[in-house]
Amino acid sequence: MKKKNKDMKLNRVIFATFATLQFAVPVFADDGATTNATEAAEIQVLKQEIQALDQKVEALEQRHSTEQQATNDTSKEQIQALDQKVRVLERLRENDQDATVAVAKAQPRLAVGASGVTFSSADTNFSISLHGVLQLDSRTFPSDGSINGNDSFLLRRARPILQGTVYRDFDFMFVPDFGGSTVQIYDAYVNYRYAPWAQLQAGKFKSPVGLESLQADVNTTFNERSLATDLVPNRDLGAELHGDLFGGVVSYAGGIFNGASDYNGTTTNADYDNDKAFAGRLFFQPWKTSDVAALKGLGFGFSGSYEIDRALGASATGLTPGYNTDGQQKFFTYTNGVAANGTHWRISPQGYYYYGPFGLLGEYVISDQEVTRPASGALRAASADLHNTAWEVTGGWVLTGEDASYNGIIPKHPFDPRNGQWGAWQLVGRYAELNVDNAAFPIFANPATSASAAQAWSAGLNWYLNKNIRVNASFSRTTFTGGNGSAATVTKQPENAIFTRIQLGF
Amino acid sequence: MKTFLKILLVSMLAISASAKEIKLLNVSYDPTRELYQDYNAAFAKYWKAKTGDDVVVNQSHGGSGKQAQSVINGLEADVVTLALAYDVDAISQQAKLLPADWQKRLPNNSTPYTSTIVFLVRKGNPKGIKDWDYLVKPGVSVVVPNPKTSGGARWAYLAAYAYALETFGHDDAKAKDFITKLYKNVPILDSGARGSTITFAQRGIGDVLLAWENEAHLALKEFGADKFEIITPPLSILAEPPVAVVDKNANRHGTAAVAQSYLAYLYSDEGQEIAAKNFYRPRNQAVADKYAANFTQLKLVTVDQEFGGWTKAQQTHFADGGVFDQIFQPQN
Repeated sequence: MKKKNKDMKLNRVIFATFATLQFAVPVFADDGATTNATEAAEIQVLKQEIQALDQKVEALEQRHSTEQQATNDTSKEQIQALDQKVRVLERLRENDQDATVAVAKAQPRLAVGASGVTFSSADTNFSISLHGVLQLDSRTFPSDGSINGNDSFLLRRARPILQGTVYRDFDFMFVPDFGGSTVQIYDAYVNYRYAPWAQLQAGKFKSPVGLESLQADVNTTFNERSLATDLVPNRDLGAELHGDLFGGVVSYAGGIFNGASDYNGTTTNADYDNDKAFAGRLFFQPWKTSDVAALKGLGFGFSGSYEIDRALGASATGLTPGYNTDGQQKFFTYTNGVAANGTHWRISPQGYYYYGPFGLLGEYVISDQEVTRPASGALRAASADLHNTAWEVTGGWVLTGEDASYNGIIPKHPFDPRNGQWGAWQLVGRYAELNVDNAAFPIFANPATSASAAQAWSAGLNWYLNKNIRVNASFSRTTFTGGNGSAATVTKQPENAIFTRIQLGF
Repeated sequence: MKTFLKILLVSMLAISASAKEIKLLNVSYDPTRELYQDYNAAFAKYWKAKTGDDVVVNQSHGGSGKQAQSVINGLEADVVTLALAYDVDAISQQAKLLPADWQKRLPNNSTPYTSTIVFLVRKGNPKGIKDWDYLVKPGVSVVVPNPKTSGGARWAYLAAYAYALETFGHDDAKAKDFITKLYKNVPILDSGARGSTITFAQRGIGDVLLAWENEAHLALKEFGADKFEIITPPLSILAEPPVAVVDKNANRHGTAAVAQSYLAYLYSDEGQEIAAKNFYRPRNQAVADKYAANFTQLKLVTVDQEFGGWTKAQQTHFADGGVFDQIFQPQN
């Protein structure tokens, strides 16, 4: 600004000097003295005019400067106003975005993935999930003494699983099975979660006894559970208090149930007598929450059940319809008319160990059952306390290095041959035995058609394509003690069974 | 089996008898975050010493009206510490989660601390704002939250309205005209007090923020006293933020006793000190005297005096179709 003013002053001086010279030079050129006075007057007028012009120029410059300043001020205000408007618009947009996020958070959620389909309220206090299990099996029995009808494809399980939560603390599960010849309800219960360590479950669900039995169907090592599971109860109706203490280091379950016979593929929805059974389980995983990797997967415990059965008639025996081989063929059945009558208790020490790809699971079961047989013809009534035992050890090694666990295997590289990924592969083996009390023969079971003991070994290969699809192939050989009196019976010769399975679980 | 059941029973009793971790959910309004962060730590320490149990207090913050609606809709608050009694009344009346006379359960109508509405302006106060009448001048941009969702905004609205009533001899028409002009100068309504603070202090919008006294002090602390200054008008409103146990939720969670103690402890010397340090005006006179320098003296009118209580004020001014709906026209 200073420079500008200086320049303007300089201009004015140059202009005035130039104008003076313009008029002064001709005046000095004239010799006449008489003209001096007139010329001086003219010069004076011209000077005044120049001065007036100078003032006008100055006034114009000042006006211009004021106008410029005013324009600048207005522009500044306009810019500030525009800036505020832009800021307001940006903030409004920001608030709108926040509001959109808040609305989205308040909307019900839908999740679809490898774990099924789940709808839930925004606060997750209400949810409903759809899961499912589909197992297509084949069983082949080479050298089985021409027993007909046992080589087959079968739909082993076809179970839609509906589970969810209402009012945050109440869970429910409903599982029918369409896989067999008749539709059955396998699980139907409500569970109240007061806290992780105190939950009350009521309805129909797995009795808390067998370790292998409690493992989810999609996670069992072989197609069929072992001989040890023959002696534990299947699903039962009742109420159970259960929970996890210290972050799952200790788990407990104890409840009152109708009382189920030794493992029976067909579950019932009603009791056959008035007495109830008690079943419970304590399980420890002492290093579950520790950093000791080699021991984190160690779990052990014991379970048991106790009930008093009363024979109310031949139609309700309270006994298992039979003990099954790995191939699900009966190798032991009670004679018609024999009924559970008296105490029936079980006890089962059990445990597993998983470390990296290695897994080992074992359990021992005693099922002590008092039975009676009514008088029939020449035979007098009889009773006995039958002490049946079974045990099993199952081992596995995941060839592709994934961690083995009681809750299944998740492939690190799900099956995708286009990208050279082949899922997870697991080699598995098992040995199991079941021994029926010798006192069962011949009064309570026919020694010609029922074996007093079975020993089974199995080996197989499991292929986990991804979290949902699994393919199994295995071979089991079961040998029998006794029960070899009749042709075309299961126990006449060892059972050799080849199994395959394609499983979908989500 | 008997032995098994005994073991089970003993295990359960042992667990029940051992130290517990108790969780409380405190659903509060926008500017109390810092207050309750400090207070929760103090109460947890007090409760641990008293009972041996650990208390974890989770906090939820938002516009007071919005928060009350969330509790009505099922947010499982054990306690509410909201901006105004009307919002707690709404929970009582609409969701029946606590009795109608909840205010009688703790001293001072269940308001352990008070506050007021002040002006936060930019450093140097470029618009020369000194009192409420400066806010209606053309070219003054006022930032304040939405009274439909924010408790603080309702207090601010009523403070301005009370000023107009006092100035114009309780001429309601003139007061309405005044409040109309004021809200014509409001370019944006955030849903809560914290949002408005962000609008003013961080986004650089407006010439003046109508703020909770504690929020204004917090803004100075957080954004710098070299950027803003607090103007306390000669007259404002006595804001009484209430606290209450949400009985049905607390009973269901088994936290009723802890929740009651949690609120009662706000009246203790320690609780009052924490409130004062966070620029809430304490009820305890000794503590108030100790922290007198934090609080400029001004004339404080009450909702009961000027508006006939919260229920009437709510119906007249903030209900659908009320005065606020009539006078406010969004600018964008």
